[in-house]
Amino acid sequence: MSVADLARYELAVPRALPEACQLLAARVASGEPTLLCAGGTDLLVELGMAPPLGAGARPPLCVDLSRLPELGGVERVDRDGPRIRIGAGVSYLALGRHALVEGALPLLARMSHDIGGPTIQARGTLGGNLATGSPAADGVAALAAHDATVVLTSVRGERRVPFAGFQTGYKRSVRQADEIITAFELEPLAPGSPWCWRKVGARQAQAISKVAFAAVAELEGGRARRFGAAMASMAPVTATLPATRALVLGTPLAGLDGEALDRAVAADTSPIDDIRSTRAYRAHAARALARGFLRELGAAV
Amino acid sequence: MKIELTVNGVARTLELPPLLRLLDVLRGPLGLTGTKEGCGEGECGTCAVLLDGEPVNACLVPIGQCDGRAVVTVEGLAVDGAPGALGRAMAEHGGAQCGICTPGMMISAEALLVARPAPSAGEVRHALGGTLCRCTGYERIVDSVLRAAAERRGAGEVGP
Amino acid sequence: MSSSEVRREHVGRSVGRVDGAAKVTGRALYVDDLPARPGELHGAAVRSPVARGLLRSIELDPAFDWSDVTVVRAEDVPDNVVALLVDDQPVLARTRVNHAYEPVVLLACADRGKLERAVAAVRLELEPEPAVLELEAALAAETVISGPDNVQSRYLITKGAADVEAEDRVAASRAAIERALAGCEVVVSGRYSCHHQEHLYLEPNGMVAWWDADGLHATGSIQCPYYVQKGLCRGLRLPAERVHVTQAVTGGGFGGKEEYPTMLALHAALLAQKSGRPVRMVYGRREDIEATTKRHPAVCEVTTGCDRDGTLRVLSLRALYDAGAYVTLTPVVLSRGVLHAGGVYAWRDARIEGLSLATNTPPSGAFRGFGAPQTLWAIERHVDRVARELGRDPAELKRQNLLRVGDSTPTGQVLRGSVGLAECVTAALEASGYRDKRAAPPRVVGRKARGIGCSVVLHGAGFTGSGERRLQGKVAVDLRPGGRLCIRTASTDIGQGTETVFAQIVADAAGVGLADVDFATPCTTHVPDSGPTVASRTVMVVGSIVERAAQKVAARVRAEQAAAGGSFAAAGDRLLAREGAVSALEQYEPPGWVAWDDARYKGDAYPAFAFACDVAEVEVDLDTFEVRVVGFWCAADVGRAVNPVMCKGQLEGGALQAIGWALTEEVVWRDGRILNPRLTNYIVPTALDAPPFETFLVEAPFEHGPGGGAKGIGELPMDGGAPAVAAAIEHATGLVLDGLPLTPERLLAASLARGEVKP
Repeated sequence: MSVADLARYELAVPRALPEACQLLAARVASGEPTLLCAGGTDLLVELGMAPPLGAGARPPLCVDLSRLPELGGVERVDRDGPRIRIGAGVSYLALGRHALVEGALPLLARMSHDIGGPTIQARGTLGGNLATGSPAADGVAALAAHDATVVLTSVRGERRVPFAGFQTGYKRSVRQADEIITAFELEPLAPGSPWCWRKVGARQAQAISKVAFAAVAELEGGRARRFGAAMASMAPVTATLPATRALVLGTPLAGLDGEALDRAVAADTSPIDDIRSTRAYRAHAARALARGFLRELGAAV
Repeated sequence: MKIELTVNGVARTLELPPLLRLLDVLRGPLGLTGTKEGCGEGECGTCAVLLDGEPVNACLVPIGQCDGRAVVTVEGLAVDGAPGALGRAMAEHGGAQCGICTPGMMISAEALLVARPAPSAGEVRHALGGTLCRCTGYERIVDSVLRAAAERRGAGEVGP
Repeated sequence: MSSSEVRREHVGRSVGRVDGAAKVTGRALYVDDLPARPGELHGAAVRSPVARGLLRSIELDPAFDWSDVTVVRAEDVPDNVVALLVDDQPVLARTRVNHAYEPVVLLACADRGKLERAVAAVRLELEPEPAVLELEAALAAETVISGPDNVQSRYLITKGAADVEAEDRVAASRAAIERALAGCEVVVSGRYSCHHQEHLYLEPNGMVAWWDADGLHATGSIQCPYYVQKGLCRGLRLPAERVHVTQAVTGGGFGGKEEYPTMLALHAALLAQKSGRPVRMVYGRREDIEATTKRHPAVCEVTTGCDRDGTLRVLSLRALYDAGAYVTLTPVVLSRGVLHAGGVYAWRDARIEGLSLATNTPPSGAFRGFGAPQTLWAIERHVDRVARELGRDPAELKRQNLLRVGDSTPTGQVLRGSVGLAECVTAALEASGYRDKRAAPPRVVGRKARGIGCSVVLHGAGFTGSGERRLQGKVAVDLRPGGRLCIRTASTDIGQGTETVFAQIVADAAGVGLADVDFATPCTTHVPDSGPTVASRTVMVVGSIVERAAQKVAARVRAEQAAAGGSFAAAGDRLLAREGAVSALEQYEPPGWVAWDDARYKGDAYPAFAFACDVAEVEVDLDTFEVRVVGFWCAADVGRAVNPVMCKGQLEGGALQAIGWALTEEVVWRDGRILNPRLTNYIVPTALDAPPFETFLVEAPFEHGPGGGAKGIGELPMDGGAPAVAAAIEHATGLVLDGLPLTPERLLAASLARGEVKP
C-alpha cells in the first residue's frame, strides 16, 4: 500500500464545468494521465492499494469534480416527456433524502440508504459509481433499471447515451477520456407503481453486493406496460436483463411461467465465483429475487 | 496547495500536498490524534469526522477537497476539554471499551443527534452502521447514544 | 478479614470507566498517537510470498539507493528465536520459510514512501517446496513438515470405564470406551468442524522501540508486557533489567496481542539497535490480518452413548487442531480445548483425545476462548444431534444432564460449589420465550422463517491446573501522599475494563473512594509480573491479590489512625513520612484444595468455572438463505459482577464475536495465502447486524474470588454463540449444519443436498 505516495500527487480544482472540460481536453491532447475525483470513496482506496510509485515517476494529475456546480442538483426537466435530472455529483446522502427522488424514483432513494454506511453515503456519488465501472455497483444497477440516460460533457459538447449502450465490458464504457459524466435523466415512476430494490450482501451495512436486484414496473390490464430491471454482480457489467424484460413485457402476468422466467434470468446473467460469493449462490438468488418481484406483480411463479 | 479550513471552530491555513488524506493531516500536522485509523479504506469508520456537519471517513477525503470547509473531530466534541453529554454517556454506560471506534461512533452519533434529537434505537443503529466495533456488541453504544439524546433534550445542550 | 465482612460500596455498582474521559475526548494515547521520538524511523518487514520453501538468497536491488535504509537479516539476530514454549520459531527466517508472510528481512527508513519502495526492492530467492495447508493433509502425512507425522502435541483425558492402566493408554482407553459405548441404549456419532477467525481488534498491532543508556525500551499495543520482555531478553541476549516494556493504551486484543507482539517488538528492537535510532512499526490492516495469529481451525469427531430417557453416559471425542507453522502457544490452546470438550454434562465415562497438527499456515494462536469454542461447538452441536435422534427438545435434554455440585468433570474434578448452571438455563429460556417458540412449528412470514436455539457452556477461569501455582502472579499496592492508593500490576486494560474493576476492588478493600485509587502504567520496570492478561484470569486471579494487597496497606493506615488519630489521608502521610515507602506486594496462592496431575491430566483443572446459557433467535430468508440474528439472550453465572454494565459489555461483545464467527467471518485461503485480508471482505458484524442483547447476570459466588466471589468471564461469551445460532437455523429451516461458518452459500448447498431447491 502506498498512502505515502499521496504526497506526490497534484490536484486541479476547476470551479466550473467548462474549465474542467478544457483541462481534460488539454491533458488528453498532451497524452498525460489524469484521474477524476468526485467523492473519493473509490479513488483513495485504489491509490492506497496501488504499488509504490517509482522514485522518479510522476503520478497522474488528479482533477477535483466536487466543486462543479453543474454536477449538482436534482430537478424535473422535460425531454421527450417528464424526466428527473440528477447531477452526477449528488451524494447518496442527498439523494436518499431528496423529496423529488423519494416521490418519483423511490427505488433510487431506497438504494441510496444501502450504499456502504452513512459515512460513505455522505461522499459517494452516482457519477463516481458509474465511472468506476464495478459490476457490483448498486447505484448503477438502479440507474440501469430505470433505463437512465447518461449525460456526458466535454469541450466537444454534450451527448446523451442510453444506459443500455454505455457499458462495453468489465470496467469499460463509451465515455471518452476527455468526457465527464455530468448527469442522469430518469423517467419518473408512475405514483403507486411497484418497484423492488433488494441488495444481498454479507452484512446489513458496509457491504458490497453478492447480488443486487433493481426493478420498476407500471401495470395496466394485467400486463406490464413498463418493466425495467437490472442486477449487480451478475455479469462483467451491470446486467440489464434484456431477455427477462422481453419475457415480462410480452406476456400477460397471469400467464408468466416460472421456469421460463428462470431461463430468461439465466440467459441474461453470467455469475462467477469470487471472494464474495459463488456462481451457484448468485444464480439461485437471482432467480429467487426475480420470481419474488414477479409474484408481487401478480404472476404465479 | 494552500488550504484554508476550520478545524474544531479554529481557522487554519495549511500549505500541503492536496491528496494527503484528511486523516493524516489531522493526526500529523494538526496533532489531533483522537481520530483513529482502523483500515484506511472506508470500511471501519473509526476515522469519522464531521465535514460541513456530515460524517465522513477522513481516510477517504483528500485534504485539497477541504478548502473552505469546516471539520469537527472527536476533540471538538468535548466542552473545554471535558466530555459532553455524549462522551459522558459513552464512558459511563459501557459505550466505550477499547476506545478505538469511540471517536467514530461519537461523530456519527453527533451527526444523528443534531438532525434527530429523539432518535429510535433503530435509527441509532442505522446512523452507526458505518462504524465497526469489535468490543461491545453495540448494545451499550446504542444505549449510551439514547441516554445522551435524552440528557441533551433535557439540558438543552447543543452540538458544535 | 473474610470477604463477607467488607463493606461493598463500589463492587457491584456500574461505575463509569476510570479511563473513559480520556477515551471520549481523544486524549488517550495509543501507540500510533505517541509523538515521534527524535530521529525516529519507520520499520517494515519483507515477508515470504510462499507457504513453504528454501531460502536461497536475499538480493537488494543494486539500482536502489540503500544509503539511508537499515537492513536487518537473520544473521543480525543475536539469538534467532521467538521465546514461547518451544524454540522452533525464528525472529527472521534464515534458511527456509514455513508459512506465507513469514518475516525474512527487516527494513527501516525515515521516509515512509522510500521504505515502501525499499520493500519492493528486496528480492527473495525462494525454492518452493510442497506445503501442507489443511488439517486432513497434515493428518494423512504424505508430506511431513514436523516430527515424524506432523503431530505436534497430544493430550488424553480418561474417566470411568476409559480410565484404564496400560502401557499403551491411547489404544487401551480407545478399546475401553468402545466397549462402554457398545453397552449404551442409544449411540450417536457426528463430526464437527470450525475455521480460522481473525481477531480484528480495531487497533492493529504496533510498537515503538529505542535504545538508551538504560538499555532497550519497547512501548506498544500489548496484553502481556512480561511476555514481550522475556522475548526481547532471549532474542537480543539481554538481562531483564536492561529491557523496559511499556503498554500504550491498547485498542483491543482478544488474545491477538498476547504472543504476537513479542515478534513485533523484536523486529522494532533489532532495527533500532542496528540503526541507532528509535523505530516505529505500526501495521496496516492488511499486514495485521496476513501476518498475525488466528483462531485454530479444528475438527472434532464425537460419539456418545445415552439411555433412552436421555441420560448422557459415555463420551468419546477426538479433536484435531491446526497449529499452523510453529508451536507458539498451541499445546496450551489444545489443552484448554480438551478440558472443555465434555461441555456442561455429567459424563460417567469419557475419553477425550486431542492432537495438534503442523501446517504451513501462519501460526494459529491465542484468541478469546483459547481452544474451548472449538470443542464446545462440537459438543453442543452433538447434543443437539442426540436430541434429534431421541425426538427430544435439545434444551430440555441439556437441562436434564447439567453438571451439579458434587458431579465430576472428565478430569475427575468434583465441582465444590459456585455452579449457577441451572439458574442460567432457566433465566435464558424464560426470557427468550424459548419453550413457546419451540412448541409450535417455526413461524414463517412470507419467505422468512424464524427459529430459536440454545447452547449451554462453561469456561474455566485462570491458568490450567498447576499453572497459577507456577506463575506466582504478583501485584503491589502502594500508599501515596494524601491517602491515595496506587495499583501496580502487569495486568493490562485492553478495553475490557481492568483499571476500573481493579479500582473498585481496591476502593472497597481499603475503604477509600474510587477517586483515591490510581493505576500505574504497566511497565516491566515499575510493576511486578502479575502473569499475562489472558485466560479469564484478570479479575478472578489477579483481582484477588489486588484485593489482598489493598487490604494489607489499608490495615496499616487504619492501625496508624487508631494509634494516633486523624483522617485516613493524614495517617497515611504520617506513615509515609516515617517509613519513606508503604507498599504491599502480594503473590497469588491458589485455593489449597486445587490438585492437578499434569502427567495424567487429572484433577482440578480450574479453581472455578463460569457458566452460561445462550439463546439465539434467527430469521432466515428462504430465498437467499441470509440469516439475521433477531434476538440474543445470555444468562451467565459470573460469580459476582464487580461492575454489572462492564460485565454485560464483555458478555455481549464476546457473543457478537461468536455470532460473527458463526455466520460471516471466514479467512479464505489459496496456496497458503489469504485472499481477503481487508475489512471489506473479512466480514465482521455492524450495528445493523448485531441483535438486541438481553443479558442476565447470575451470581453463584466463588469463595476465593474477589469482591465477594467474582469469577473470570472474559472468554465465556465466545463459547456458546455459534452452537446457539446453528440450532436456531436448524429450527427455522430443518437444515443441519455441523461445519462453520454458516454462510448463505453453505446453507444453499445443504438445501440443494436435501433436494429442497433445484440447482
